[in-house]
Amino acid sequence: MVKVVLKGITKRFGNVVAAGNINLEIQDGEFFTLLGPSGCGKTTTMRIIAGLEQPDEGHVFFNDEDVTDLPTYKRNTGMVFQNYALWPHMSVFDNIAYGLKVRKVPKKEIEERVQKVLELVNLSGLETRFPTQLSGGQQQRVALARALVIEPNVLLLDEPLSNLDANLRVKMREEIKELQKRLRITTIYVTHDQEEAMVISDRIAIQKNGRIQQVGTPIDIYNKPKSLFVATFIGGGSLIEGIAEKVEDLIRVRTGNIIIEGVSSTDGKKIRKGDRIACVLRPESLSLEKPEEPSNRLEGVVEWASFVGPMTEIRMNLENNRLLINAPSDIQVPIGKRIAVYIRKSDTIILPVEEEKL
Amino acid sequence: MRQDGFKMDFGKTWKKLKREMDLMTASQTLIAFSILLLFLIAPLALMVGQAFIYRGNISLNWFISMFGDPEFISLTPRGGRLFEVHRGTMYIWGLDYGILLNTLIVAMTVTFSCSIIGVTIAVIMARYSFKGKEIFRVLLLVPLLATPFVNAYVIGKLFQPIGGLVNFLFYNLLHIMPWRIDIDGLFGIALAQILSYYPIVYLNVFASLMNIDPSLEEQAENLGSKGFRLFRTITFPLSLPGLAAGAIIVFIFSMEDLGAPIGFIGARANPLSRKVVSYKIYSSFAGALAGGISPRTYALAVTILVISVIGFTVVKRYVSLKSYAMLSRGGRWSPRVRTPSWKAQGIIYLLLMVLLVTASMPQIGTLLLATTNWATSGTLPTKLTGEHLQALATNPDVARAIVNSLMYSSVAVTVMILVGASIAYVVARRDVPGRSVLDVMATIPVAVPGIALAVGYFLFFTDYFRGTLLDPIIDPALLLIFAYSVRRLPFTSRAIFAGLQQIDVSLEEASLNLGARRSTTFLRIVLPLIASNIIGGGILSFVYSMSEVSTSATLGALREDRMPITFFISQIVYGVAAVGAVSVGAALCVLLMSIQILAMVLSNLILKQRVAFLGV
Repeated sequence: MVKVVLKGITKRFGNVVAAGNINLEIQDGEFFTLLGPSGCGKTTTMRIIAGLEQPDEGHVFFNDEDVTDLPTYKRNTGMVFQNYALWPHMSVFDNIAYGLKVRKVPKKEIEERVQKVLELVNLSGLETRFPTQLSGGQQQRVALARALVIEPNVLLLDEPLSNLDANLRVKMREEIKELQKRLRITTIYVTHDQEEAMVISDRIAIQKNGRIQQVGTPIDIYNKPKSLFVATFIGGGSLIEGIAEKVEDLIRVRTGNIIIEGVSSTDGKKIRKGDRIACVLRPESLSLEKPEEPSNRLEGVVEWASFVGPMTEIRMNLENNRLLINAPSDIQVPIGKRIAVYIRKSDTIILPVEEEKL
Repeated sequence: MRQDGFKMDFGKTWKKLKREMDLMTASQTLIAFSILLLFLIAPLALMVGQAFIYRGNISLNWFISMFGDPEFISLTPRGGRLFEVHRGTMYIWGLDYGILLNTLIVAMTVTFSCSIIGVTIAVIMARYSFKGKEIFRVLLLVPLLATPFVNAYVIGKLFQPIGGLVNFLFYNLLHIMPWRIDIDGLFGIALAQILSYYPIVYLNVFASLMNIDPSLEEQAENLGSKGFRLFRTITFPLSLPGLAAGAIIVFIFSMEDLGAPIGFIGARANPLSRKVVSYKIYSSFAGALAGGISPRTYALAVTILVISVIGFTVVKRYVSLKSYAMLSRGGRWSPRVRTPSWKAQGIIYLLLMVLLVTASMPQIGTLLLATTNWATSGTLPTKLTGEHLQALATNPDVARAIVNSLMYSSVAVTVMILVGASIAYVVARRDVPGRSVLDVMATIPVAVPGIALAVGYFLFFTDYFRGTLLDPIIDPALLLIFAYSVRRLPFTSRAIFAGLQQIDVSLEEASLNLGARRSTTFLRIVLPLIASNIIGGGILSFVYSMSEVSTSATLGALREDRMPITFFISQIVYGVAAVGAVSVGAALCVLLMSIQILAMVLSNLILKQRVAFLGV
């Protein structure tokens, strides 16, 4: 198995930076996800690892071998394309066997390995079918089997679930995760769906405008976002912007009459007094009861409340800021009532407001 | 510093080139470029160069002497008769303004007439529904069936003042016409060309009309426009790109056409039929073996080459600017077809019937010539006979011509597919230097008149390949093969390119990613997926090669035992082949038509769709 290292990878298409100085270390056997909005360059980054795209600058290493100049057919990566790219003129068997035939594996062994991988993806018995005779989910499994059967150094999955309907998507992502765990294969996964990324990944890299914003475990990224972009892209929440009034262990923000204290998760960029900063208030961190730990108290008028089953969603107007709260489902609050909500200071995430760089 | 930057850039470019230029791409690019350079660019360039050289210096001498010679350009008619009534016969021959002007006048007349007929028919077929429409749709394409030389011969025969069927019918029998009509010469050539080329305009405009988003016309109707106003302001302007594309092809075909002049000369021996550029160049090949070809012929060929290349370039630019008809695709797409009133239907039937009968005359006449004694019996055939068709197998000269053509065409199709697929693949998929040049070069042959290419070949290959197998005086076979290949190449590579565009790139990337090299990927993934396009394109190209006229009738003249079918037919029609009457030529045309029909059926089956089967 293989550790994948990207050093200073840069790729431009005209004026668009698809990959801006990307440095990553993806560990052997890790399930690593590139997450970002569409057009952020995550697919380009993956294609550079696959060797389908050549970086303008930088190097790609598999273990310690520099593979930057190695064509894709010599890299032994198994890629699953977003549209599966199954060859319509070949049966399921021939599609899967292709990589082995190219590698001149003996016929008997090909047969065995194809059968084994078909079992692995629960498709036994469909060898003679053609791709057009398969459902979306089955096509997806064939594509996965085709990539796995060659025992690739790295498994590359480019938004593999985006063409499936919602239920199947949840099922397939669990299957993929289990398979990956079982095979312990280094896997790189590209998606724009943050929930999918959280569920499936060991670590996530968040990419925006070609640059990696943050790398970390799902928990890390959720709890300690290093930038406002990451904070809002991963997990929802309300933003309240203001000026830093006091910067100590806790940071105090003032906006109008509201004062909020919280912690900053940035370690690089220091927040100074007088900076424009924003508080990220996650709906699930806000509660109607005062916690024992030190907390902020916010008072506002209920604008809207709706029962969604496991909880009640409340929208509150806090001096013209919108605040979303997930309250227990047994709570009922009349619209127009003035209420107070609480959030632990340790759960209040404070980040500097980014100047939009073009 | 700057030098470093340059070095780095150069290194990168080199690395990129090395990456893109794997063995397969390199050989594909190389094959495509060398064939196009050797069999298209170099001969034409040499011809153009030679036309501008006089006694070792660059000079306009050949052009000046040509343009000053009344044989080529004469502002007052030097002869001919146009709507002149003389002793009870109206002579419609056309006036002789010199070879060059005659050719242009004929070409413009043909283009204009084909445009009017083509647009009318296209609108009827695209916008109205009436009983029997499907049958008409097929019959309207009958004129595309190849009956080289014989088609004009038949028209010449039908319009003979005495003994011609048309005059017999309308003058002697029905007494509708006040005079006998004698259609011959330049007008005859134009008539023969109009009847065989109108489907080209029709098909192009028809395709254009079918591609117009119905909502564009519905919107205009919604705003109060209807009838002719709707046609004039919306429908016609939107179908103009199709008309322009069809018209320029007709114009070029007319300029380079040899079939009509030779057919008319064979039928009527009127010297006016010789007064066109194509015949002039053709006749200079007859003297080629003895004394070579005069530089004035180069200048003549260059002149029509320049006219057609300019015309083609202008139209191409115009069409690419105006291809907006597809812009607003999407939404409901119900074709705008309506059923006209009974009265209007009557007019449509009448129009179509007259056109069909007139336009199918050459094909019907060819069949009659081949299966009866019509060639010698006078106005109407008097008995059926199978001897002409039998001659195809029994006459050794005829059989040899058939075998020659079959062989040339098969090899030409192979070359075409090889080169066409290479060009299409490199242009569609690879990022190599010279890609766009290749793309442009591959479309040039559409605009090159076959007779100009033939002159270029003769000049280039007798000069630089003297005594080799490529020297047409030694053996024209190879040159004929390459002429067919190059002339048809744009259509072949387009067809394959269209196939490639249907394949998602990820299908190839998946193969590369799984460890297959580019060549393996091409063979195992790309080729099978575009096989139907290749086979379909190949079949149509085969038909084209079998019935190609311009280079066959010129280069093919250089060695008797190498003559292709079409040259042999021209000899028969001209009356110089020793097989007897024109009937054997007609029998050969029947063979060509059968091959063509078979090919259309096959390719429709393979492609499972109605393709614009321009076998021309």
